[in-house]
Amino acid sequence: MSINLSVNLAGIKLKNPTILASGIMGISAASLKFCEENGAGAVTLKSIGHNERIGHNNPTVYVWENGIHNAVGLPNPGIDGSIDKMSEMLNVLSIPLIGSMFADTIDNFVMVAKKMAALNPAIIELNLSCPNTADDLGRMYASDVKMTHDVVSAVKKIVGNIPLFAKLTADVTDIVEIGKSAEAAGADGLTAINTVSGINIDIYQKRPILKNKVGGLSGPAIRPIGVRAVWNLYQAVKIPIIGTGGINTGEDAIEYIMAGASAVGIGSGVWYRGIDVFKKVTDEMKVFMEKNNYHSIEDMKGIAHV
Amino acid sequence: MFNEKPVALLIKEIIIENERVKTFVIDGEMDFKPGQFTMCWIPGFDEKPFGLVSRKKSEFMITVAAVGTSTKALHMMEVSDMLGFRGPFGSAFILPVSGSIALIAGGYGMASLFNLAKEAREKGIDVHVFLGARNKDELLYLDWMKELGAVLHLATDDGSEGYKGFNVQVFEDWVKNEGGPRGGIFTKVYTVGPEIMEMKIASICWEKSIPFEVSLERYMKCGFGICGQCCVDPVGWRMCVEGPVINGEKLKQITEFSKYHRTASGKIEKYPWNKDK
Repeated sequence: MSINLSVNLAGIKLKNPTILASGIMGISAASLKFCEENGAGAVTLKSIGHNERIGHNNPTVYVWENGIHNAVGLPNPGIDGSIDKMSEMLNVLSIPLIGSMFADTIDNFVMVAKKMAALNPAIIELNLSCPNTADDLGRMYASDVKMTHDVVSAVKKIVGNIPLFAKLTADVTDIVEIGKSAEAAGADGLTAINTVSGINIDIYQKRPILKNKVGGLSGPAIRPIGVRAVWNLYQAVKIPIIGTGGINTGEDAIEYIMAGASAVGIGSGVWYRGIDVFKKVTDEMKVFMEKNNYHSIEDMKGIAHV
Repeated sequence: MFNEKPVALLIKEIIIENERVKTFVIDGEMDFKPGQFTMCWIPGFDEKPFGLVSRKKSEFMITVAAVGTSTKALHMMEVSDMLGFRGPFGSAFILPVSGSIALIAGGYGMASLFNLAKEAREKGIDVHVFLGARNKDELLYLDWMKELGAVLHLATDDGSEGYKGFNVQVFEDWVKNEGGPRGGIFTKVYTVGPEIMEMKIASICWEKSIPFEVSLERYMKCGFGICGQCCVDPVGWRMCVEGPVINGEKLKQITEFSKYHRTASGKIEKYPWNKDK
């Protein structure tokens, strides 16, 4: 029996459903190529914004008992300082590149999207849900139905045929309303979920560990939250979903796919399993599919909705 | 032990090395291999990578120059204050089975090499240390290395101790005088310090076909291989996982070595001596 691991994500073909999530590695063409060599089906660059940012001071990332916690603060060279880098990425990669971007205002989203779209990445992903930049970038777009609609529709007009994904957060009253709003505004897909907002306090130092105090939780702790978000969105929208949050194994990936994800994002898994997490997850998915008689990812998509 | 989360540990003793540099002795175990580093959290300021030094199992040390806001804040701390430590992280140096090794250190590079010298001496390997600094006061750990029985070759910019000039020159002359009374060949060479110094040592070793390892420092955030800040071109290796210790053969593949590095925003910054376009 032949197993087909490839997926069609909003018209983009991936050789397997594992995607390097935004914010992990993703800083250079070389770092993304390293992920490709280790089996990723697609890679997402670290979010690029309207101007250069150095991000927060350390501690910005550390491992806690049930996951990873970060408030890196979107360091990036800005879109103008990233054009050459993105061109190089598109040159050296043989797998699809997802261009993640953010901005403060809708005008700046449009400005960044215009410059990024000119380079023609496979997909553009709007990071509408970074949980640790509220102090200077303001409230997350994905925390509000109207803000999500406005930014997605403004950017969709710019990017033309490039599929546009909106990355959402579960830190809202109802992620489904936000997802539906993005779909209605023209989004071609959703990415769910971003990291979950949290604080860990060092009781000996009597202060939060992260310099930014608040940061995004990822890893095994948030997997059921992500699966629930994908589950609810799958029932409400027709556009494909990249399921992200706590995927370390092939079984974890299949859980998201059975909840309705078309592909899966992997970030913290790079720490838990090593840089070859993509190959490991893909191999484990294959073993599960062989044992349980599934031929394709499509065979499993959403089937847990009984 | 390995610490994923910062562990709060007491400063047990503070050694004043010179007017800019202090060594903080920490009350706790850090089970590291020579060449590995720790992320030290200076509460309220920052968290930074430091080379690990240990002379007995129950304690370890970091040597810090007060150069920026956070290291100046660290210098203000006192015995019994607490710092947070994660790690140890990164790749380690590999010693030959026997023979004679050279350690070439500039600046605070000796912090990453001290325990390699200690382990080598315990295995009966001859250790030559080519140590360079601006002046006599900035030559680190001299007494400890004498105690180990390392052969010291010192160089200072102002000539206040040893050769007046760079330790690279002293090393080069020693290697050239192979067979002479003031010369010899090494089984393996290790270098940690400013990248321009490391480049010169690498060139000598490549030319003479001497196996060597360098410790390559890049801006770091996570320390455990996910943030991507310390990935090097064009191979994408993470200097906190695949590095910081890189052997001479692998180093040939890192084309950014001695040419440029990335800043906190991820922007490429050329080294001042790099005249390439």
